[in-house]
Amino acid sequence: MSFIEVSSMSKTFKVTKRSSGVRSSVKSFFKRDYVYIDALKSISFEVARGEIVGYIGPNGAGKSTTIKILSGILRPDSGVCKINGMIPYEDRERYVSNIGVVFGQRSQLWWDIPAEDTFDLLKDIYKIPKDDFISRKNELVSLLNIEEIIKIPVRQLSLGQRMRCEIAASLLHNPSILFLDEPTIGLDAVSKKIVRDFIKKINKERDVTVILTTHDMSDIEALAKRIIMIGKGEVLYDGTLQKLKNKYDNIKHIKVITNTKVGSIRKKGIIDKRKIDGGYEFDVDSKIIDVSLFLNYLSNKVEVKDIDIENENIDEIIIKLYQEYEI
Amino acid sequence: MVKVYLKYLKLHLKSVMQYKLSFILGFISQFFVFFASYFVIISLFEKFGSIKGFTVYEILFTFAVVNIGFSLNEVFARGVDNFDHFIKAGKYDQLLLKPVNIFLQVLGSDINFLKLSKLLQSIVILIIALVNLDIDWSVFKVLIILNMIAGAFCVFLGVFILNAAYCFYTVEGLEVRNVLSYGGREMAQYPVSVFKKEFATFFTYVIPFAFINYYPLLYFTGRESNILLVFSPLIIILFVIPCYYIFNISSRKYLSTGS
Amino acid sequence: MKQYFTYFKISFISGLQYRVSALAGLSTQFFFGFVFIMIYLAFYETEYDSAPMKFNELVTYLWLGQAFFSLMYLYHKDKELISMIRDGNISYELCRPQNLYWKWYIKIFSSKLSMVLLRFFPVIIIAFLLPFPYNLSLPNNMFSFIFFVISMIIGAFLVTSLSTMVHIIAFFSLDEKGIMSMFMVIADLFAGGIVPVLFLPKFLQLIADYLPFRYIFDLPYRIYSGNITGMTAVSNVLIQLLWVFVSIGIGYYLNKRILSKVEVQGG
Repeated sequence: MSFIEVSSMSKTFKVTKRSSGVRSSVKSFFKRDYVYIDALKSISFEVARGEIVGYIGPNGAGKSTTIKILSGILRPDSGVCKINGMIPYEDRERYVSNIGVVFGQRSQLWWDIPAEDTFDLLKDIYKIPKDDFISRKNELVSLLNIEEIIKIPVRQLSLGQRMRCEIAASLLHNPSILFLDEPTIGLDAVSKKIVRDFIKKINKERDVTVILTTHDMSDIEALAKRIIMIGKGEVLYDGTLQKLKNKYDNIKHIKVITNTKVGSIRKKGIIDKRKIDGGYEFDVDSKIIDVSLFLNYLSNKVEVKDIDIENENIDEIIIKLYQEYEI
Repeated sequence: MVKVYLKYLKLHLKSVMQYKLSFILGFISQFFVFFASYFVIISLFEKFGSIKGFTVYEILFTFAVVNIGFSLNEVFARGVDNFDHFIKAGKYDQLLLKPVNIFLQVLGSDINFLKLSKLLQSIVILIIALVNLDIDWSVFKVLIILNMIAGAFCVFLGVFILNAAYCFYTVEGLEVRNVLSYGGREMAQYPVSVFKKEFATFFTYVIPFAFINYYPLLYFTGRESNILLVFSPLIIILFVIPCYYIFNISSRKYLSTGS
Repeated sequence: MKQYFTYFKISFISGLQYRVSALAGLSTQFFFGFVFIMIYLAFYETEYDSAPMKFNELVTYLWLGQAFFSLMYLYHKDKELISMIRDGNISYELCRPQNLYWKWYIKIFSSKLSMVLLRFFPVIIIAFLLPFPYNLSLPNNMFSFIFFVISMIIGAFLVTSLSTMVHIIAFFSLDEKGIMSMFMVIADLFAGGIVPVLFLPKFLQLIADYLPFRYIFDLPYRIYSGNITGMTAVSNVLIQLLWVFVSIGIGYYLNKRILSKVEVQGG
């Protein structure tokens, strides 16, 4: 049996229809319309202990509904969700002492006082033995490089500093699963790197299972071998990131530096041509025309000074996927 | 449990100390706000002399006791009173993520030291009332004051818990909460016999305000001598426990509907 | 002018979205109305002769107070303005081609008006139908009614001017809590929100005459029931009007001062 087991899980919400304009507002004052929204339609997947899974999808796809069910906040209408032998929403208090959750947009730290004080409270909330608490705190604090930061009132911290404290706070009780909801949102490059390296490290060394939702594909590239993509409440893709990339990396962006003016080129496989500084950029479909063939063809026409070949960027792949599934 | 709560208390104190000046200003302004409701009673009695046989100091006595109970709630149960914030801001989710009783977390989430100002004022008014009342002191009379304060605290805690439970169903129409909390306080300051029968019945048997002010007052002022009246405020337990159950049952609804 | 009307429309629509809220407000107002009337009734039954108002005048005063509560409410705090005060940040506001004073004025006025439009009518109707002695009486006579309407409209402008002024003062002090609540308690006391002005001790009534607050609702409600009539009513309404101009003048001036202060400090 898998560590996390989700099978045919669904959830529907009832939402009031809001209207605009004076007349329809007056009307809805007396009579209300409701709409039913299927947030999840029979979702299934499994996750093994120690995996890092990127859970992606556009806004409103059902990501946060899934995370809420997995973390015991919400009960599904039907289906099974079993984690580490427990049903999260049935066995809440026991279950949550074994998970850590970080919401990128929300804080669990006390605003007006240093993070260290919140840690102290968490020690009592999770009933962490004193010695364990001290050694774990010291370890986390030095790994995240926040020795000084946790002594400053949280409201004075930068977003990156605060996020590092949030992550430390969510791991003090040594959970076996960590849920990260957009952990790098709004962070600068340095903080992003610290956070990612740290997640990788605790995953490797402590065998912590990580479920990560994000809109930042570079998070996924840096961390997750496997992604689950969800859209309109259904799982659309479940597999390695590499496989997904291979499927779509036939589009190459080729920059050619040249002094010669290039006129219109009509050849199968060349999708687009743009003028750039000191030359041109071509989008080429390598399934139709081989890159070497294309370069051969081009060098016959113009004098090529330098070239640069780039694969399709992951964001574009995702956009394509979303388009393909019409989500 | 107690340990966790004390830790909450400590952190709140530490937070408040970050803004000392603002705390002092707020403390003073609270003083004015409360003075207004004290003032209503004084001006009315200045015009009328007494109300249905009760003197100004008797009314000030129940007024003070009820407000001690109420302000204790405002200090320590503000999280319960402002429970809608948890639902509206989605912060309730974060409570669910901690392996501790939800209600304890709600209590610990907010402690409003500013309202100690009101508590202090109520105690002063209680002393003024007691000094001016002609009382045959006995152990029971001391006990009855303590019971009344405990009862007043519990009855409003119960009301706040009911209001919080309401938030699980809808966060619309929250004004209706004021009926039982602020409206209840307004009423409970006067003995129920002042009100018309239907009101008095409702606030004796449904929300048991009569047991914390009217009946104890009869004993305290020597109008009745039945010793059982000393313990009448303890009947509130029968009100608070169901309130807590209602809260717990309602909280299950959140699990299935989410925000 | 059109943009100001849009503000009104927006707050009216957002008010309509909350019908449960309207119903809740209604029941709350009835509950408080009943509690107050019963307390006064108990006092009147004890000692009718010492009362400064007739009982039906008082009941009418209390019901009008409940019906127009959201319009005449002195504790009005505008969430958006408060959060700007808290952050001390109005540079965003300055970017828009509007006069800030009137913008805030209309904003406060329209949120009050949209709330009261949804609420006053049912309170009035039900209060009329209540049995004696809990019922709202008809206006004293036609003169009283006409003057009541005029005085209510002026009163609504007066309370808005004062509210706008308090928000601006809070802006000056960058403290929305202490100053605002202290002002509001004092204003409420002299306005007759805690007890009708006639129930205040004599020396406070004297002070109240020289402040704007008792002209907000104490005046129109008493004109309605015939407690104030004839030339007294006319002259009082003129004083009321004067206070509107004075409070708008002060508010407008303070607003200008703030803007120049902001421009100097750069927001």
